[in-house]
Amino acid sequence: MKGALPLIRLEGISKSFGKVQANRNVSLTLEEGKILALLGENGAGKSTLMAILAGQLQPDSGAIFLREEKVQFTSTEKAITAGIGMVYQHFKLVDAMTVAENIFLGQGRGVWLNWKKMHREVTALAEQYGMKVNPAARICDLSMGEKQQVEILKLLHRKSTILIFDEPTAVLTPAEADNLFATMKLMVGKGKGIVFISHKLEEVMAIADTIAILRRGEIVAGMAAADVSSIAELAECMVGREVLLQVDRVPLEPRQIVLKINDLSDYGLRGVNFELRQGEILGLVGVAGNGQKQLVEIVSGLRRPTDNSLRILGLEWARFFRTAGWDRALAYIPEDRQGLATCQGLTLVDNFLLTTRGGFVRGPWLMRRQAGIKAARLMKDFDIRPLDPDAFAWQLSGGNLQKMVLAREFYRKPRLIVAEQPTQGLDIAATEDVWKLLLEAREEAGILLVTGDLAEALALADRIGVMYNGAIVDLFSVDDEDKVALIPRMMAGLACALPSPTESTPRLWSAPR
Amino acid sequence: MTSQIIIALLAAAVQSGTPILFATLGEIFTEKSGVLNLGVEGVMILGALAGFVVARQTGNPVLGFFAAGLIGGLAAAIHGVVCLWFQGNQVVSGLALTILGTGLANYLGTAFIGMAAPGFAPVAVPLLSDIPGIGPIFFQHDVLVYVSYLIPPAMWLFFARTRFGLGLRAAGEYPAAATAAGLNVLAYRWLGIVGGGFFMGLGGAYLSLAYTHLWTTNLTGGRGWIAVALVIFAFWRPGRAVFGAYLFGGIMALQLRMQASGTQLSSSILLMLPYALTVIVLVLSSWRKRTSDAPASLGINIAPAE
Repeated sequence: MKGALPLIRLEGISKSFGKVQANRNVSLTLEEGKILALLGENGAGKSTLMAILAGQLQPDSGAIFLREEKVQFTSTEKAITAGIGMVYQHFKLVDAMTVAENIFLGQGRGVWLNWKKMHREVTALAEQYGMKVNPAARICDLSMGEKQQVEILKLLHRKSTILIFDEPTAVLTPAEADNLFATMKLMVGKGKGIVFISHKLEEVMAIADTIAILRRGEIVAGMAAADVSSIAELAECMVGREVLLQVDRVPLEPRQIVLKINDLSDYGLRGVNFELRQGEILGLVGVAGNGQKQLVEIVSGLRRPTDNSLRILGLEWARFFRTAGWDRALAYIPEDRQGLATCQGLTLVDNFLLTTRGGFVRGPWLMRRQAGIKAARLMKDFDIRPLDPDAFAWQLSGGNLQKMVLAREFYRKPRLIVAEQPTQGLDIAATEDVWKLLLEAREEAGILLVTGDLAEALALADRIGVMYNGAIVDLFSVDDEDKVALIPRMMAGLACALPSPTESTPRLWSAPR
Repeated sequence: MTSQIIIALLAAAVQSGTPILFATLGEIFTEKSGVLNLGVEGVMILGALAGFVVARQTGNPVLGFFAAGLIGGLAAAIHGVVCLWFQGNQVVSGLALTILGTGLANYLGTAFIGMAAPGFAPVAVPLLSDIPGIGPIFFQHDVLVYVSYLIPPAMWLFFARTRFGLGLRAAGEYPAAATAAGLNVLAYRWLGIVGGGFFMGLGGAYLSLAYTHLWTTNLTGGRGWIAVALVIFAFWRPGRAVFGAYLFGGIMALQLRMQASGTQLSSSILLMLPYALTVIVLVLSSWRKRTSDAPASLGINIAPAE
């Protein structure tokens, strides 16, 4: 609709953290009464952009215009006063207090709280937007969906005009998500503007008026939802295909099977089947949240499968994890390199020992000095800076920390490697290093590479599996150009080879219009 | 005859429970804002000395009482400087405050040992003190006891019914949420520390101005520690703190009476009783798994703003 008033306009916003450019020259417009969907993979820069809008971060360059008036949000308070409200993924609610107390926290004047009036106001406000909440209920007794409603009510009570939802459906059941969308429609009907951050394509198509796609910090596409011809188009924009980097991949002769999955259907997975051999990289691609996490956690031993559908290095899952030694077995390179992979407050030697200590024990003693020498040598080989094994993990940049994790895991001479988003958030140089290391490691191991970056999968993998809705839609050689061209369609769930839905199938969002 | 003994014992329980009640309420106030102050003992004894000295010099015990609160708030502010400005460890800072406070008060008070100061004498409340049973137990005390009756309901009202109480509780439960709501969490934590220190100081003053009228070394005798334990026993509720304080006051009074009556029990065993009860109370209250009553961010410093 033309002539609508732009509520907020971002112009040329750039922000970098060290060498990593989180946002590059981003321009966006949100109009009154509209829902703008911001679509992008994890690490695409959505959160940074919204943190800038909410006053938590300052952009390196660029400007924000509120109703065509240039503003500067130097603090969260300023953004709040300007009418910008954020529904965080992790709710900012005080569990021990009631709904009304949370909504009125920091609000109003005077000394005394009038309970009756507060409860009346909350109920009235909730009714206006079709919500049902008990103002006297304590937060800790509420469901996730109800807590989210309280967050929304907090913003509405403050009369926020621009509401930012950061992946709001991630914690909701499908019915709760439907309720949320109804509420969002009511809110835009009353002239508010909504920014909806998501990587779920169906939702975005169902609810958004305009769609902006962020990739590697840049807006790669912006369109009206009505103009989107297919979900595949969105998926393709989101994951990208253009080659940023070229590495030489010489196919190796695949040897013995290191991982065999036979009809795995736990935790929302649906009939996953594949074999992985030493000497090959199997790239699993797909939009995040389609079962990759569950699969990785089962293979790496974090979740227990309910039946014997998995064989790792020829052993059943339970037997493998009971008997596996520290080396010549499995190495897991988690997505969360600052959380799951390393301890931020420990030195690099201690972090090195986290998974390799089996090689540095004599009786009850830990041979820390030898470990230090070994770690120092590895750091030199992997070109990790600062070259100081006694540095703390938090002192390293993301790229160097990731190389440290790789150095540690490869030192174990694994025969099966699970690598999850190994280059997310890294700059080009570090990405190239990591890619080369993975290709080298392939000679001794089979690698399961889970990535949201299609270019990465195409550059590294020998075979590609596409995940959608808990199933591997198709599995094919990277040389099969016809299939490769179909990947975006498969990621959007539009390809033919889908297994027939069962009763446990999560419900899909209906396509709009 | 026995009923008279019991009434006398209960009245003594109220009197010896009152300083503990002041201190417990102070610690509840501080902990509700998310700050753990283990320096109660030190703050109390500094308050006791300040109250004693001011009352002695001016001859006005009321001035002494308020001076004790003021010094208590100032002493607790040391804890605030360490924990709120410098992000110091709350446990270590509190312990240091206890050692500093007791040492300093004993040193400065050496000159006053054995001296007396004008204090508060018992005043029977008209009408109420004539009620059989209740009257002698609750309404034949000094005026500070009556003041202590007013604080728990006032504190409850503050927490539950005022905007500032809501903010203080939010600062102790989930500082990030309070900040997101535009509140100054640091200011609320200062309020919690200094306000709590005020009440702890009053508790000390009760000991030197009403309970004894004398200055001796180690006047507080571990009552600050009992207060720390009582906060947990009271589930951080001002109302329950009253029961806890009088329970401990009762044990202390009983112990004194048993010693005076020349019992066969060793005095060491009797002196141990209140502290043994502290251990039992702590075990029982954790047994009931009511740990969720503690302010969720208790003892966790807030990250400084960038």
